[in-house]
Amino acid sequence: MKLIVRYVRRHIGMFLLGILFLSLETFAELLQPTFMAGIVDNGVANLDVAAILRYGAVMLAITAVGAVGAVARNIFASRTSQTIGKELRGDLYKKTQTLSHENIDRLQTSSIITRITNDVTQIQTFVNGLMRIMMKVPIMCVGAVTLLIIQTPSQLPIMCVILLVSGVLIAANMKLGYPRYGQLQKRLDRLNEVSREFLSNVRVVKAFNAEERESAKFGDAAESFASAGVSAARVLAVFGPLINLAVNFGIIALLWLSKAQNSAEIGRLMASVNYMTQVLFSLGMVSNILNNAVRATTSAARVSEILDEVPKLTEPSAATAVTADISGEITFSNVTFTYAGAARPAISGVDFTVKAGETLGIIGATGSGKSTLVNLIPRFYDPTVGCVEIDGQDVRKLATDNLRGAIAVVPQKSLLFTGTIADNLRWGDENADEAAIHAAAKTACADDFVRSFPLGYDTVLGQGGVNLSGGQKQRLSIARALVRKPKILILDDCTSALDATTEARVLGGLGSGAQGATVLLISQRISTVMRCDRVLCMENGLVAGIGAHDELLASCPTYRAVYASQIGGEAV
Amino acid sequence: MSDKRDVSLPPVREGMANRGKPVEKPKDMRGTLRRLWSLCRGHGRGLGWIMLLSALASASSVFSPFLIGRTINSIDGGLSAVWLIALLAGLYVSDWLVRFIQQYFMASIGQRLILHIRGTLFDAMKSLPLAYFDRHRHGELMSRLTNDVDNISTTISDSLSQLMIYVFTIVGVLAIMLISNVILTLISCSTVVLIFILTRVITVRTRKLYKQQQSLLGRLNGQIEESISGLSLVKAYSRESAMIREFEDCNEQYCTAATSAAITSGYLMPLTSVINNLSYLTIAVVSGIMAARGGIDVGVISSFLLYSKQFSRPFVDIANIYNNFQSAVAGAERVFEILDEQPEPEDVADAVPITRIRGDIELRNVTFGYGKENPVLKNVSLTVPAGTRVAIVGPTGAGKTTIINLLTRFYDVDGGEILLDGVDLRSYRLRDLRRAFGVVLQDTSLFGVTVRENIAYGSEETALEAVRSSAVTAGADAFISRLPQEYETVLDGGGSSLSQGERQLVTIARAVLVDAPILILDEATSSVDTMTEQKIRAAILRLTAGRTSFIIAHRLSTIRDSDVIVLLQNGEIAEMGNHGELMSLGGLYAEMYLTQTGN
Repeated sequence: MKLIVRYVRRHIGMFLLGILFLSLETFAELLQPTFMAGIVDNGVANLDVAAILRYGAVMLAITAVGAVGAVARNIFASRTSQTIGKELRGDLYKKTQTLSHENIDRLQTSSIITRITNDVTQIQTFVNGLMRIMMKVPIMCVGAVTLLIIQTPSQLPIMCVILLVSGVLIAANMKLGYPRYGQLQKRLDRLNEVSREFLSNVRVVKAFNAEERESAKFGDAAESFASAGVSAARVLAVFGPLINLAVNFGIIALLWLSKAQNSAEIGRLMASVNYMTQVLFSLGMVSNILNNAVRATTSAARVSEILDEVPKLTEPSAATAVTADISGEITFSNVTFTYAGAARPAISGVDFTVKAGETLGIIGATGSGKSTLVNLIPRFYDPTVGCVEIDGQDVRKLATDNLRGAIAVVPQKSLLFTGTIADNLRWGDENADEAAIHAAAKTACADDFVRSFPLGYDTVLGQGGVNLSGGQKQRLSIARALVRKPKILILDDCTSALDATTEARVLGGLGSGAQGATVLLISQRISTVMRCDRVLCMENGLVAGIGAHDELLASCPTYRAVYASQIGGEAV
Repeated sequence: MSDKRDVSLPPVREGMANRGKPVEKPKDMRGTLRRLWSLCRGHGRGLGWIMLLSALASASSVFSPFLIGRTINSIDGGLSAVWLIALLAGLYVSDWLVRFIQQYFMASIGQRLILHIRGTLFDAMKSLPLAYFDRHRHGELMSRLTNDVDNISTTISDSLSQLMIYVFTIVGVLAIMLISNVILTLISCSTVVLIFILTRVITVRTRKLYKQQQSLLGRLNGQIEESISGLSLVKAYSRESAMIREFEDCNEQYCTAATSAAITSGYLMPLTSVINNLSYLTIAVVSGIMAARGGIDVGVISSFLLYSKQFSRPFVDIANIYNNFQSAVAGAERVFEILDEQPEPEDVADAVPITRIRGDIELRNVTFGYGKENPVLKNVSLTVPAGTRVAIVGPTGAGKTTIINLLTRFYDVDGGEILLDGVDLRSYRLRDLRRAFGVVLQDTSLFGVTVRENIAYGSEETALEAVRSSAVTAGADAFISRLPQEYETVLDGGGSSLSQGERQLVTIARAVLVDAPILILDEATSSVDTMTEQKIRAAILRLTAGRTSFIIAHRLSTIRDSDVIVLLQNGEIAEMGNHGELMSLGGLYAEMYLTQTGN
């Protein structure tokens, strides 16, 4: 809720103007019965048609004012809520762009996306409703009660009783309803989770004859969702009609009292009854508002969680940030890194230097820490202990743009974005000319297949565009890195979908294409890394050995074992 | 496909606020309704009661303004007013009772109906053949299970009962008004006409605006989805500011379009109440003049003023209800589409129960394709004696995985036949057949439960000891022991906290535990490093001793020691034999092997 208040406050002028016009509209509506009372008590009672028309003219003028209010508040409400939605979406988006990998790991990508899309819309709908029906209801209620008491002051005590009773009922309704709706949302999440799991694992379910098991799981989730639904709806079923009854008895009391006192003017009595029915309509909306508020609060909490997230990696302050011409020497001094919540470090005591322009192969078992190691260089994560240096400078002291500008990463999973192939390759360097792009694509063995498309480099990828094979994507993402002309090139096992021949051609081409960059090449295949200047062999987060292929074969038992398993014992 | 998105409760309906949003039209309203009715069978009586109660619930809005008018008329007329007030009180109390009972029961009847439809749908879905899941997006299927089902029953039961209330209200109110005064009734009716005109004018304008808004929203959400899923790359290339620029552009355009759509459609509600006020004042003035001339009494004025406040509402709402109803029926059609899908073929009448399996497998002239045009396997014949270790290799798209799909009857052959122990696969009971296979699939799918339950998935044996020993066999015990709660660690997000290799080890352990006579490993070692792969290979050697097994792997080094290596190319068997034979053949296999080992 605090979040919503904060954003509303930014547009407090528009918001208040909206509420002002809303009040104008509501009061115009509320004044009608009062003047109607005049028609009856002065016009009809005295048989004075001129008086009736006079009152009618006043009512018409009031209606006109009300219409102006209605039009204005509509514009203000729509504008304000859409603007708040836009800003909230924008702030969230910008915030996510500053988050580090560690934050993202924790929040989960899919959940961040839902928050930016669905939850923001939910809040926007709420703000819009706030400036329409939600504010109108209390204004209407208070106004009707006030006018009612002005009309017939003798009704004050009875009104108090009715208001008290309805108030208690509404409070009880909220108290009981609120947690039940929360529960309902939780059970719905569970239901979604179960069906998602079934759908994405359907092969396993069928292969293991587990249909009945999944059916039972789904049945349970659906059952508990249904019972939460029943329990939430029953609260409304109990309180909704009760509130109705309380107000209706107010009407009875009004009629009864005027009968007993025998003094009330008929017109006023009619106006009072009208006000009572207006109160009734307003209170009928309460459950709806409650419902909306519950959802908006949940959404606001989810949105705030992202906005309040503190980026784990901080940019060095401008004063100390070093902008350097990077040549590409990388040093790990005694680096240990532990993932948040992990019991054991992913890598520990890693110590080595790669000279500028050197090609280092990295090999090791699954989970031995290869990817973790290279992720520390562009500061996707910061080491827990020790430090990573480039050209003798701690990477944490370098300006992030400067640092990442000198590095090109080709991740394991090749991602391309909506846009043309050329657009995607220009990620590496926005100002790259056509020749540079073609050259990079040639080095990555991508030029041929790109040219085979009718639109060549202008072929659109992504939504509604051409679908590429895994190998084609990998080659494009290598080309993208080459366009950057990086000082440090990190290839994280990114040739897995290429057949051995193409892989050899691509990696062979890097020698000329990478133009003296320091290359870190992670691979599972020993045939790939053995061509590198030196090889780093990882085991369980520790460095098992580093050196040229022949040295390692002689000195490092882990490397020897890998070699034997792939190339075969006969070659040793 | 992992359409992982949390679906939230549908937003509260904003009454008429969404007028002009495109409404989905059902294709066959009548037929669908008939089917829906038969689906609701067993709940018919409950629904009937709700309808009846709904009709009764309209009584209060029909009669109370009339009674109030009469009471006001006779307020100084002595005894009759007392009776009228008592009658009114009685009306209110019974209204309360009726509403309470109606809503209370509707809550459970509605939810029971949802539960029934949802259960029926899931049961139908789970027995659909795999081809169906391959053809449809998972997000779409999920929304049928949740949104569509919810819509069907809430909208249908809500709309029907609301419709009931409105029809009775309109008829009743109209009758009483006509009896009381014809001129005032006409004034009330003219309000309805005005509101209809207003609605029409606004709807025509909003339709176009909503369409525009919808397409811009699609673009905005697409941009968000793409850039956040690829955030690590965005950061690696320092593209944050470019992405933000692109986003702000989309965001701004969407906001402009959405604001004009919201403003246009937002006029409906307030202008409707302005028209209502207009009608109120007209009735007040006209009836005042009539009363002053002695035509009517004050009670009539009072009743009409109260009626005028509620008369137009049902008309406005009915159009809305009809729209909701239409989209619910369209949702029902989507649900029926699933119910109508051909489920996995039933077992033949004289299906052979499997008691003991030797494991002889023979493919006879097998032809198969996923679509009509492109056969993936062409006339493939292969005989595998029990206990043979078969490796299937070949370039991507050669049909390796397809053979596995056919063996487990995820798909059935288009031509030819597959025999297990000399009997056509289709003659066995499907459940028995699948029990005969221990499968490790290409996609490493885990469930959001503990590691132990994941390994025990699909097997009767769930004791920790058995689970642990199969994990040891699969080489997964070492990393599982390092997890915070070891075997009881819950794998959130389908095991996303584990590396792909680790997930694969868990799925292998799962296949080990079922202890099936025939083993299938589909690219099961593709993303495990070669050291781990060594361990798995050793485990597989132990496991496959004496069992028929099929192994598919990209890396030829892992399948060197298979009894038979089958090289598939373009849907046909190109080469077949053991490693030595194929190497001396000097064909495609030898070439692939040499490139892979770097010689």
